[in-house]
Amino acid sequence: MAKIIVVTSGKGGVGKTTSAAAIATGLALRGNKTVVIDFDVGLRNLDLIMGCERRVVYDLVNVIQGEAGLNQALIRDKRTENLHILPASQTRDKDALTMEGVERVLDSLSEEYDYIVCDSPAGIERGAQLAMYYADEAIVVTNPEVSSVRDSDRILGLLASKTRRAEQNMDPVRERLLITRYDPNRVDTGDMLNLEDIQEILAIKLVGLIPESEAVLRASNQGVPVTHDQQSDAGQAYADTVSRLMGEEIPLRFHQAQKRGFLSRVFGGGRR
Amino acid sequence: MSLKVDRAEVAFTFKGGMLPMTVMELATADPERVATQLAGKLNQSPAFFQHTPVVLSVEKLDAPHLALERLCAVCREHKLLPVAVRGGGDGIKQSAWALGLGWFPPQEIRAAAPASGEAHDTGAEAAAEARENSEAPALEGGRIFRGTVRSGQQLSAPHGDLVIVGAVNAGAEILAAGSVHVYGPLRGRALAGIHGSREVGIFCQELHAELLSIAGNYKRLEDIDVELLGANVEVRLSEDQLNIRTLV
Ligand SMILES: Nc1ncnc2c1ncn2[C@@H]1O[C@H](COP(=O)(O)OP(=O)(O)OP(=O)(O)O)[C@@H](O)[C@H]1O
Ligand SMILES: [Mg+2]
Repeated sequence: MAKIIVVTSGKGGVGKTTSAAAIATGLALRGNKTVVIDFDVGLRNLDLIMGCERRVVYDLVNVIQGEAGLNQALIRDKRTENLHILPASQTRDKDALTMEGVERVLDSLSEEYDYIVCDSPAGIERGAQLAMYYADEAIVVTNPEVSSVRDSDRILGLLASKTRRAEQNMDPVRERLLITRYDPNRVDTGDMLNLEDIQEILAIKLVGLIPESEAVLRASNQGVPVTHDQQSDAGQAYADTVSRLMGEEIPLRFHQAQKRGFLSRVFGGGRR
Repeated sequence: MSLKVDRAEVAFTFKGGMLPMTVMELATADPERVATQLAGKLNQSPAFFQHTPVVLSVEKLDAPHLALERLCAVCREHKLLPVAVRGGGDGIKQSAWALGLGWFPPQEIRAAAPASGEAHDTGAEAAAEARENSEAPALEGGRIFRGTVRSGQQLSAPHGDLVIVGAVNAGAEILAAGSVHVYGPLRGRALAGIHGSREVGIFCQELHAELLSIAGNYKRLEDIDVELLGANVEVRLSEDQLNIRTLV
């Protein structure tokens, strides 16, 4: 039985797709059979970030509508063993997803995989609710700003009431906070909320903190999830996150402003 | 709480508000029994019966037909002014409307529906009730909730006090017929005395409330003295004015 993890946020553009791709990659690199599903029907971003956009033939909607088999739609990742991508449709309407259809797809994937990572669309409406409905765990992606924290709080309310686990009175969905685009320097100047404030409001366990990093932009332009870039701060932070998801206790990194050394002051080298 | 419009240009403004309202919970559909009891009460406390507006609640009855017109007449004879009916099926709703009365859905359904404007414009059936923590004991009339009441959630104790052991976040709303107690930060909206009780209070360990209301008298965050923000406080009503004082 696979563990179903939804990556969700309420607010758009906070780093859900980046995180879903990086975490799915990290889980697969650690030997877990993993599939990452794009629930953002109509926008289709995940395949770009995973670098497989040219290999998309069938998608989640085709499978749900019975126009293609699951195995026809699943794309095997070129770089990482154990990793598959189930893309979203770019052309279809988001109403093409049905609750029963999603359940059927997740049920069959559950038999094959260890982890199913669902990349949720933004918002709190039907699309986001479908992506979270069958989840066992939720990774709530939050940026250090008031509106993002507020939306995450809203999503946490939905996770506690509008999911299968809530409706059937099972153990609640395990909720984990992932703070992304964290810039300790801007936190220090008061431009951004700090880690403690976010945690105090949301009151859920922190699973990771990803710094604002140029490596993310580079990775998405190249279509290689940033987890592969283990030289970079973001790549390491996602690897830490994956370890914590798998139950390891790892100290937090990248949450403090770095004192710049003499050389970097002279040569102006930034953090990479 | 009012829509901002230039008074010179408009004929009226809509204002949101919670008015104290007496609910007459009917235990019988028989107008004559109601009349007898009302006559007794009128003698006891004539001050109460001064064209007092009342909501007729028929929730406890399961009579598909109701002599609504006669019931209203009985009320008016005793100087009560029925303004609306709560509960009952479609038939009762139609007759309420035909008599020029408003109709409210039964209380359980209303409690779960989004109440604040905000819950509306974010388009959510999402204004889900916070899920009751299993260890929360059910009090007679009151309610204890353990955990965080989150943005978009509404929690109410329509018959008693509401106790929250945890935080009430911005965008959340808690309501009680009695007092509201928050053992944690209060960042959302808190309404006590929602049926008009004035001898109730709002208590919280850390005040950041978006709205405080007792028996329909309210203060918004911007009306609250900044000195009191973050403080452990007690909020009470005296002469239609909310008073906030710090506790130690
Ligand atoms: N840690 C980071 N550092 C710098 N940029 C980042 C970081 N994480 C995400 N970004 C950038 O933020 C933008 C949005 O990221 P992403 O597409 O992952 O967000 P999303 O939440 O999936 O958005 P949507 O709600 O539209 O689906 C992208 O340009 C991405 O490169
Ligand atoms: Mg996305």
